[in-house]
Amino acid sequence: MLVDFELVKRARDGEGAAFNQLVAAYRKRILGTIGRLIGHPEDVEDVGQEVFLRLYFSLDQLRSAEVFEPWLYRLTANAAYDYLRKRRRRMESRMADLSEQQVVLADALASGKVDRDEGQRKWIRDTVDSLLAGVSDEDRVLLMLKEVEGLSLKELGKIYHVNENALKVRLFRARQRVLKSFKASRKPVAGLKGSR
Amino acid sequence: MDPQDDWTGNNEERLDALFAAYRNACPDPEPTPGFMPQLWQKIEARERSSTVLVRLARNLVTAALALSGIMALAVSVSHSHANSLPPESYIEVLAEDHARQDLGYFEPVQVEPAADQR
Repeated sequence: MLVDFELVKRARDGEGAAFNQLVAAYRKRILGTIGRLIGHPEDVEDVGQEVFLRLYFSLDQLRSAEVFEPWLYRLTANAAYDYLRKRRRRMESRMADLSEQQVVLADALASGKVDRDEGQRKWIRDTVDSLLAGVSDEDRVLLMLKEVEGLSLKELGKIYHVNENALKVRLFRARQRVLKSFKASRKPVAGLKGSR
Repeated sequence: MDPQDDWTGNNEERLDALFAAYRNACPDPEPTPGFMPQLWQKIEARERSSTVLVRLARNLVTAALALSGIMALAVSVSHSHANSLPPESYIEVLAEDHARQDLGYFEPVQVEPAADQR
């Protein structure tokens, strides 16, 4: 744990400075996790603020120190899930714009206007984003927490309050679906190799 | 090491390499200077809206209590008024009156015998 529980207690009792310290200790890590969960850097701060807003209004429900981090991850996973759900609703109307953006990016890459490393990072983000489009938003968040954030099944069990075996089955199925999409769409990978 | 170099094994390994590359492609970002001020603005806005809701709920509860008090008063007044009336109900009074009228109606008719029959 990055802070001691005394600080959490003081924040819970309404001490603004303690809450600021709490946010300062966790925000970089939480923003990083959110960025990887949602895959859209431009919206990371908004979702991060939503996480800490929820934290502020639910601190009084926290009973012990050891559940603080799993609980913060739970708030993070829920906020990311809410964001993805809202975004999915807007997706269809924006599909044309997205494909146009990809063409613009490809052109920019080809002409050297975009930094090659940044272009490659964006390509990786887009590839993972499109692979994860085939799974539900809940499974996407779960899979990201396991595969990208590196959380153990035990930690995930604490976050989701679910039996580890049930999580294992769900993760396996989600991964199989992503793997199927991965096999089916090797084009982005080939493109990535070609862009080096 | 370039993550693409790992994408040479089977698909499971390639997917793992892709996830690792994704992790590297999305490093933990530095929060902007406006992060905390904006967060506090959102907290205060949420507190204000929840205060308005609490006040509204309190007013509704007060109004509901006042209304139920008035209704209880009205019921008790009408009840005490009902107690001051004679015990018979309207139906009973009506039935009694009707029975009296019926008796009059069915009163045997006195028929005078005819003169030739005397």
